[in-house]
Amino acid sequence: MFKELNPLLHSELRLGIMSILISVEEADFLFIKEKTGATVGNISVQLEKLSAAGYIQVEKGFLGKRTRTVCKITPEGTAAFAEYVEAIKTYLEKKS
Amino acid sequence: MEDKILNEKESLELISKMIQNTQQKLESEQGRPLLIFGYITVIISVFVYVLLKTTNSYYSNLLWFTIPLLGGLFMFILRKKRTKYVKTYIDGIVNIIWSTIGAIVILLSFSSFFISLNYVALMLLLLGIATTLTGLIIKFKPIIFCGIIGTLGCVLPFVFNGCEQVLIFGLFIAIMMIIPGHILNYKGRKANV
Repeated sequence: MFKELNPLLHSELRLGIMSILISVEEADFLFIKEKTGATVGNISVQLEKLSAAGYIQVEKGFLGKRTRTVCKITPEGTAAFAEYVEAIKTYLEKKS
Repeated sequence: MEDKILNEKESLELISKMIQNTQQKLESEQGRPLLIFGYITVIISVFVYVLLKTTNSYYSNLLWFTIPLLGGLFMFILRKKRTKYVKTYIDGIVNIIWSTIGAIVILLSFSSFFISLNYVALMLLLLGIATTLTGLIIKFKPIIFCGIIGTLGCVLPFVFNGCEQVLIFGLFIAIMMIIPGHILNYKGRKANV
């Protein structure tokens, strides 16, 4: 039986962001931008969606005079990510 | 990267690629905290030694309390102008180790007003353990090696008496912090060329 894939994570950029944040304690917007190669606008939209779902925590602050957006995965996000990977495995097992 | 839907195989490949990309690599100025605190401690050790020799006053030891203040100040002044920020789990663990050991070292320093112990030996032991653990966590052999030497150096203050203990402390701090700090910076610069 195929497990349903979480539609929120089944998109390239959102999955990329979640994969980055699951490997580190926290990262800022610029780090995510560098690793994903996506545009500022696109990342902002996806961060908002992930944050609204409670998968990530976004904190806006200042570093000197510049603003800094720091993102962190939440326990809900970690659980959803693990569930997503498990679901993918069922698809791949069926195919092979 | 865009907002497109992936197939299952592509999803797994993306997860694996992103996790690999985020793995910690040596940064160009990673040895900076070791160098700042190492050099300040060695300089203060020399000052304390000279003051103890010339004035014979116990109050010369008050100079040790300037180390965390000067260290914090220089860390702030020389802080890296980061364009991007990431904190790995390894960074978090190393921060916890040094914050804990740092707090213990400061509390012990205050206890010296009331209790008489071999503080030089105790400090070398604590700082040596913190350095060795840091080396083991970031998997950097020169720090592990120098940290072990520093930890073992804690027996020497029991052999040497008087002001010479202060010089021994400075020497072992140089071995534990300054030498591996420079090696770490060199390797970091090479890795980022």
